[in-house]
Amino acid sequence: MREQYYIVAEHLFCLEADDGILAQMANYEPFRTEQSNDALFSLTVTDGGPIQYVEELSQDEEGQDIVCGHTEQGEPVFEFRFGGKTAGWLVCSAGYREGTLYLSGFQTKAAVDNALMIQFAMASATQNTVLFHAAAVSLDGKGYMFLGKSGTGKSTHARLWLQNIPDTELMNDDNPAVRIKADGTAVVYGTPWSGKTPCYRNVSAPLGGIVLLSQAPYNKIVRLKGIGAYAAVVPSISGKRWDERIADGLHETENALASNIQVWHLDCLPDADAAHTCKDAIAI
Amino acid sequence: MRIKKGFILRTVCGENVIVGEGLDAINFGRMLCLNETATFIWKKAQEYGEFTAEKLAVAVCHEYDVDLLQARTDVKETLDNWTKLGVIE
Repeated sequence: MREQYYIVAEHLFCLEADDGILAQMANYEPFRTEQSNDALFSLTVTDGGPIQYVEELSQDEEGQDIVCGHTEQGEPVFEFRFGGKTAGWLVCSAGYREGTLYLSGFQTKAAVDNALMIQFAMASATQNTVLFHAAAVSLDGKGYMFLGKSGTGKSTHARLWLQNIPDTELMNDDNPAVRIKADGTAVVYGTPWSGKTPCYRNVSAPLGGIVLLSQAPYNKIVRLKGIGAYAAVVPSISGKRWDERIADGLHETENALASNIQVWHLDCLPDADAAHTCKDAIAI
Repeated sequence: MRIKKGFILRTVCGENVIVGEGLDAINFGRMLCLNETATFIWKKAQEYGEFTAEKLAVAVCHEYDVDLLQARTDVKETLDNWTKLGVIE
């Protein structure tokens, strides 16, 4: 077993695993660091399981199930299933600062990715940080995020910016992180998690705007404010809201975003005009 | 009556909103905006745990410059709405 350290959204974390697993972590390479003090959390990966636990809630997304629960001692458990078959069990303690992932031997890499994402989201929720389900691009030094339900076309819209708006860059295609800094500014970060698109960039930019996408037979953009902005942002943030400490942390960040960042709703087609309509409204 | 488990009052951009965050409320899927009086009623209901419409109406009377008859009407209207939405039981 070896330890490796990474920094994502300025949070340091530690992964302890055998060489075979560490060799598969290419998407984490840009985030690697020699620093090893004050880790936000650490994850130890080992073989084992099954873990006995009481189920609380099962979340199903694109053929992948994450079952949340707790052990008899009250430690949070997350079971990762792909096509109904278990890849591993994550058992957390010390307020998500420590985690152990027990691998079944099936879909090892996906289980490690899921475990790190969950621990990151849970441990950083109380540190003014949220992990989004979104695509993020940068333009002229600012970051813009596109939100929407699965299949709405977040990646497609990001690609339309890249193709039609010069100097646009993709920051992350599926799971950017946002952090509210001590001075109140919101910053968006690339992460080692990016869905189906291999875009693992260690980049960051002040958050310039958030756009909730809906499919429509036309392109039209409207500004959302107050509760409307909050309601647009919340469903795109990963979390375990039935854990009060996490819910309070997420709410604080979400409320700061809804209050201080421009949030828009874009009805759109998958065409160049959609990208221009969006950009003309938010990137002034 | 009592507030159902998992529903909590949050301040969102300066407004008072009921959201479903607990395990039993996670699929509520909406946010309920409260005006000043409704916010007061919610906080009182929370404080009492188990409450009756009459007890809340008396509390409203003490807090605001309204007679008991008016307070009863306001509380009933609010509680009927909350029952319909399933945030109290």
